[in-house]
Amino acid sequence: MADVTLENITKRYEDVTAVDDMNLDIKHGEFVTFVGPSGCGKSTTMETIAGLTTPTEGKVIIGGRDVTNLPPKDRGISMVFQNIALFPHMDVYENISFGLRLRKYDKDEIDRRVEKAAEVVQLGGMMDRMPDEMSGGQRQRVAIARAIVRNPDVFLMDEPLANLDAKLRVHMRTELQRLHKELDTTIIYVTHDQAEAMTMSDRIAVINAGELQQIDPPLTCYNEPKNLFVAGFIGSPSMNFVEGRITDNGFESDDVNIPFEPAAYNLSTGADVTLGVRPEDVYLSRNSREAADPTPPLTAYSDVLEPMGNEIFAYLKFDEEAESDMEEGVMPGQLLISVDPDTDIAEDQEVEVVLDRAKTHLFDTTTGNAITHQIAPVDTAGASGADAEVGSGD
Amino acid sequence: MKRIIHALRTRARNARSDGDRDVGVDRPASAAEALKDEGDTDAIRSDGGVAAETDPTGEYERRRLQRWRDSDFVQSAPFWLPPFLLMGFFVYAAIGWNFLISLTEYSGFGDVDYSTIGLHNYVELVGDAGFWAATRNTLVLLVAFTLACLVLGLSLAILLDRKIRFERTFRTIYLLPFALSFIVTAQFWMWMYNFDFGIVNGLFGLVGLGPYSWLGSPRLVLGSVIFALMWQFSGYTMVVYLAALRAIPGDQYEAARVDGANTLKLYWRVIIPQLKPATVSASVVLVLFALKAFDFLYAIWGFRPRRGADILATKMVREAFQRQEWAYGASIAIVLFIISLAIIAPYLYQQYTQGNL
Repeated sequence: MADVTLENITKRYEDVTAVDDMNLDIKHGEFVTFVGPSGCGKSTTMETIAGLTTPTEGKVIIGGRDVTNLPPKDRGISMVFQNIALFPHMDVYENISFGLRLRKYDKDEIDRRVEKAAEVVQLGGMMDRMPDEMSGGQRQRVAIARAIVRNPDVFLMDEPLANLDAKLRVHMRTELQRLHKELDTTIIYVTHDQAEAMTMSDRIAVINAGELQQIDPPLTCYNEPKNLFVAGFIGSPSMNFVEGRITDNGFESDDVNIPFEPAAYNLSTGADVTLGVRPEDVYLSRNSREAADPTPPLTAYSDVLEPMGNEIFAYLKFDEEAESDMEEGVMPGQLLISVDPDTDIAEDQEVEVVLDRAKTHLFDTTTGNAITHQIAPVDTAGASGADAEVGSGD
Repeated sequence: MKRIIHALRTRARNARSDGDRDVGVDRPASAAEALKDEGDTDAIRSDGGVAAETDPTGEYERRRLQRWRDSDFVQSAPFWLPPFLLMGFFVYAAIGWNFLISLTEYSGFGDVDYSTIGLHNYVELVGDAGFWAATRNTLVLLVAFTLACLVLGLSLAILLDRKIRFERTFRTIYLLPFALSFIVTAQFWMWMYNFDFGIVNGLFGLVGLGPYSWLGSPRLVLGSVIFALMWQFSGYTMVVYLAALRAIPGDQYEAARVDGANTLKLYWRVIIPQLKPATVSASVVLVLFALKAFDFLYAIWGFRPRRGADILATKMVREAFQRQEWAYGASIAIVLFIISLAIIAPYLYQQYTQGNL
């Protein structure tokens, strides 16, 4: 049994804090993914677990043992690196058996274990190949075999698929899930690709600026993001945000007004809040699909359309005259929605959209923390249509 | 050069595009042809067209000449021919001539007499104890100097690669001796090794040893020379190794550590094996230098190095230029050449099989 616990881990370089007071509790057999933008401290956190860096403060506990000051080899871990890091002067057998040979296992035991590891990653019959004679996917398998051959308690992977091409990446993703099932070890996986995180993990740890933002199962992170960062980071394309304030009647901004009872969420009038809604939770009024619990309709103008085949991403703007600027993604005054591919939507049209109240989030603009993940309609139904207004944006 | 190429190009173009028009003006061959047939007015007027009608064999010859002129071989000649001729004459012809002289009995003043060609100089070499001593010293110098430079250079490179402070400064300091002339380093080490007031004897004196006659004792002299040369050359190996170390990605170190290697095993089993190409190329340079390490010895002792420090290169120069035994000196040069070739040939062959040549 190897639970991994981080207690108040902080790593400071001269004037940069890479990891800031990180607390994590990972159970045995869990597949946990660290996800976050480049430079957020996820790799540093993993290196602290591996023992490649010593934390400035805090403790690393693996399997009940405080390993903070132990070298990597005594921690019962193994690691797969982003650049694969096979030793180029050794063939596959030598690469996989390197750790065992260093530990002076006897020859038969090494042979048996290498064979088994190679079987798990489906590398049979390639034992005498050199790394430069293999494809990227094969090399990645060797790297994984090298890591599992020592029967580690914890398996660390630092963006192992980042250097593979897109198709192979998807394939290796399922392979890794299969591997996790077969091995029954704890896997800690670092990636900046939220699709990898969503598909493979039992839990996702979203990290930003050295701080843990949220650690939850993928769908919880997706449906109930704890703050603006998680809401924006998880999901592709990312969530729409509209900054506004609370009035007596609900949410109000230049473009979007949604009536609800602020008191129900302990919100006081005048508070700055940000409304968040995912592209697939905005519906065209005339669409065949319908929101379960729609808000009053908003008027907008279609701008650029991105047909993806299975859906169309439509950029809407609230101000008809606004210049479209695609460079920085969704801009204030814009709304990205996902519609059915068979909807007859064209560019530069006036459209009416509704949001799904059950999937509409509110965040505190100043702290970024989530307030609610759904907005209940006002009890006195019927008045909602008149309350909703669509501003022209000036 | 550019103009020549341009002229060639234009000529080739002309020759290709219009076989019938008169191109004799800028073609020396055709001009000569025209001069030869001066009586024939038709030929002068247009040497191509008329000749074709009257003389089919001439036309055929001319076509062949034209094709030859258009071939890549001829067209590229301005690029490869000058260096080829220079190298051929000054290097390979000189080596050949040297070999020829080594077969004669050329000595003293006067001309070479090629009538008594034979291997007698080589036979004499086999019986010359001085030659064997010089060969032995050459090989000892070669092996010890090369190994010492590689080991020291590698150690310095590994230390410098650990992101230490003032890394650039250290790199420059270590490389500096390599930039010095051998005459300078020879003088410098003569002071260092001076029997009465040299720093080396001073240091040994501090621990109660010596003084030693570093450059005088036949048992010490070769070691002293090797040490001085190592001082000069290890900076070079360090730079070669440092470049190779920088090319090894950082996660190789991390992977080895996670797999359980301590620092010693990490370097011995993972990093140093990857430095093989750097070791080979540095060794070739060092070995070839060691074979020719003449100027350093000459700057210290002149024609006759101390017994125990005489190498083939110094013996060769002494035989030829002091004793005027030209042919004998030439035969030593050939032996030296063959040793160099034997050392460099495997390297060149390996480079060739890897497609680097």
